[in-house]
Amino acid sequence: MTQPASPSSASAGPIVRLSGLTYHHYGKTAPALTDINVEIKRGSFTLLVGPSGSGKSTLCMLLNGIIPQILGGKLTGTVIVDGKDVSESKVQNMAHSVGLLFQDPEWMFATLQVEDEVAFGPENLRLPPQEIAAQVTKSLEYVGMNHLRKNLVWALSGGQIQKLGLAAVLAMSPEIIVLDEPTANLDPATTHSVHELILRLREEGRTIILVTKDLDEFMAQADHMILLSEGRVLAQGTPRDVISEHGSIMLDLGVWLPDPTEIGLRLKQLGLLKNKAVPITVAEAVIALKDIRFKEISSIKKETIIGEILVRAENVQFGYTRKTKTLHGVSFDINQGEIVAIVGQNGAGKSTLSKMLVGLLKPSHGSLSMFGRKASQWNVQDLANDVALVFQNPEHQFLCDTVHEELAYSLLAQGIVDPGEVEKRVNSMLERLNITDAAETHPFSLSAGSKRRLGVATMLVGGRARLLIVDEPTYGQDRRLTERLMELINNLRSEGITVIMITHDMRLVDAYVDRALVMANGEKIFDGTPSDLFQSPEIIERASLRTTALRRIVDGLRAAGTPVPNGLNIVDSFVAAVAFV
Amino acid sequence: MSENTLQYIDNNSIFHRVDALSKLGWVLIVVIFTFQFQSAEARGIMLASLLMCALLFARIPITAILRASPLIFGVAFLLGIFHLFITPGINTLFSLGPLTATQEGLTKGLEFFFRLAIMVMASFMLIWTTDIRELMVGLVHLGIPYRYAFAIFMALRFLPIVQQEVDAVKAAHAIRGRASSSPVRHRFRLWQRYLFTVIVNGLRKAESTALAIESRGFGAFPDRTYVKDFRWTFLGIVLMFLFIILGTWLIFWERHLF
Repeated sequence: MTQPASPSSASAGPIVRLSGLTYHHYGKTAPALTDINVEIKRGSFTLLVGPSGSGKSTLCMLLNGIIPQILGGKLTGTVIVDGKDVSESKVQNMAHSVGLLFQDPEWMFATLQVEDEVAFGPENLRLPPQEIAAQVTKSLEYVGMNHLRKNLVWALSGGQIQKLGLAAVLAMSPEIIVLDEPTANLDPATTHSVHELILRLREEGRTIILVTKDLDEFMAQADHMILLSEGRVLAQGTPRDVISEHGSIMLDLGVWLPDPTEIGLRLKQLGLLKNKAVPITVAEAVIALKDIRFKEISSIKKETIIGEILVRAENVQFGYTRKTKTLHGVSFDINQGEIVAIVGQNGAGKSTLSKMLVGLLKPSHGSLSMFGRKASQWNVQDLANDVALVFQNPEHQFLCDTVHEELAYSLLAQGIVDPGEVEKRVNSMLERLNITDAAETHPFSLSAGSKRRLGVATMLVGGRARLLIVDEPTYGQDRRLTERLMELINNLRSEGITVIMITHDMRLVDAYVDRALVMANGEKIFDGTPSDLFQSPEIIERASLRTTALRRIVDGLRAAGTPVPNGLNIVDSFVAAVAFV
Repeated sequence: MSENTLQYIDNNSIFHRVDALSKLGWVLIVVIFTFQFQSAEARGIMLASLLMCALLFARIPITAILRASPLIFGVAFLLGIFHLFITPGINTLFSLGPLTATQEGLTKGLEFFFRLAIMVMASFMLIWTTDIRELMVGLVHLGIPYRYAFAIFMALRFLPIVQQEVDAVKAAHAIRGRASSSPVRHRFRLWQRYLFTVIVNGLRKAESTALAIESRGFGAFPDRTYVKDFRWTFLGIVLMFLFIILGTWLIFWERHLF
């Protein structure tokens, strides 16, 4: 692979230096970043962590000068990147120093064909065509996509889009590579393959700055970790130091931490892990916890009252075009009161299935019956009262100008017209969501977490929905927001609502779900409890899943001869069950 | 994954291998001749030739043509009907209430139908068979600054994604149910929202696209290099030449015949 452009110019000094930096977004009075002082060494690997809205993306955009050159705003202090002051050099001139991979690279693409996309950046820099052609081949080979070079970008899968984005950045041979949540919506196995690429770049001595919530594979590899909260640097240092000194704060802030670290921190808080460092990898956790003993617990099994069959699918088939089938004969039942997860790789047919369950699509063969009636007899409007679907992007669902109106709309749509009754129900829902203050706010201006919860609320405020389908609950949310959403969902379930969750997050599957349906290439390849799923390596592999780090710790402990009770599938229950270490 | 009418169809036909500027020139030639023709027969033969080219040489699936036919033929048909009834004339063909169709109206109607259908059909063939990047590079080759040539290109590039966004919003709205008893008011409200949501999200995404391409050096210099530079193709010259012959022959034929 191409080396950074000018290793000879490498000085001993930092490649990035932010000093006394404060930044206000255009037109905002509160600063997005306050008094940031950070130095990043050439060739180092830095993790940038913090809760939603802590300023991570803003900091990324500062490094290549998008802020303040294009987005404006008020900047004080200095930002020196690769010897250049970003407030004085144009973004285009930073392109050779900093390559930035955005959260959603589909929108970063400027051309139609894979190879043209990779050539786009170097062409802008007026490199000679022969040189670019060689660079394109190298970059595509690096990410393993050279065989797809003639493909159209809109026909790529989620993982391929991310890898193409990375290839396009690499082709410009930047000194520094900044990655902003590169795996936010990928299946676990694809996430792992993108992670491997990042680690390979790190071994080759690139300077890498990474924002991600999937820290598991990076904690032991990174040189530097920066913890941001409300625009300030709360802590920085090696990941190990930051975790051991500020770990509890990170838990409180709602930062996603790997399971081994979280278990270690929680045990420390309980005074159970004395004289030992907080583990940051599964292997370290197994060693640190090898003498662990658990309390005798009679029953930690979840109690589920399974009711009547709500949904029955028999040999359901579907294709968007005549030639290609998305679903090849899928059969399953879903019972009243269950929480079921539908999991599997990107493009396995999960979203198609969920669209069928709300009546947006009809099976081309086979039968699907819901609430005892054939799906072919339902239309979307009829089903809307019984089935609620929360989309990945909740903005798509909003129809009104205020949060209050949005909830009232749902009630009217369900035939509740008495103004007093509407008012009463809207207010009680606002209280329940903890957004009473925002009643008159435009739904589009809510925070990401509130939008998701409003999305759920608009679907359920009428109180008639019997089946709730949630598409990727963790998408774009930090840990605390996810936990609040899951709490809401769990409460609904205890009121008797059946929940279907579509997710890539194996922690959620293990923690909350009664049953998992695993899809691969349009077929159902598994239907059973998460415990059985995670004990079937073949299924895990076929469906591009990965066991959780917690499972790997438990397996490691058992392999080392330490008895671990069954059912400890979330960090909470694991920590609660520990007697001593 | 909705199928799009205005989208590049990737099948590497002979027509795909013609360079973009020749195809653009070919569309102009077809349109100019169409306006020179005086008979419905000549225009009909031109339209038939285009359809034949699309099916045989561009290998456009017949389903794609059918899907686009409301745009290609539907609008032209309405325009034709309009002229059929509003053109004054003396030879009455038939009457529909207050509307009277005349022989002159029929001639005029057919003329407008064919003209529009031919123009739209030729343009669709250009879009279906041309990687718009190549068209952009071609325009730069003709001396248009690359920032402007690129603007056209980006607009077409994002059309399919906007279509996906519209589909997603429609689906999400459908499952919200209907709050007003009047279906018309409900429709109106939905349309208002589609526009709002699609525009708001579109603007946000357009902004992130602009940021992304500037981060990759777009606009850093007044010009840029091209790995695949523009080249005129022999096939392109053949295509333009064949249609000039066809057009010229049709003009002689119709004027000799009628």
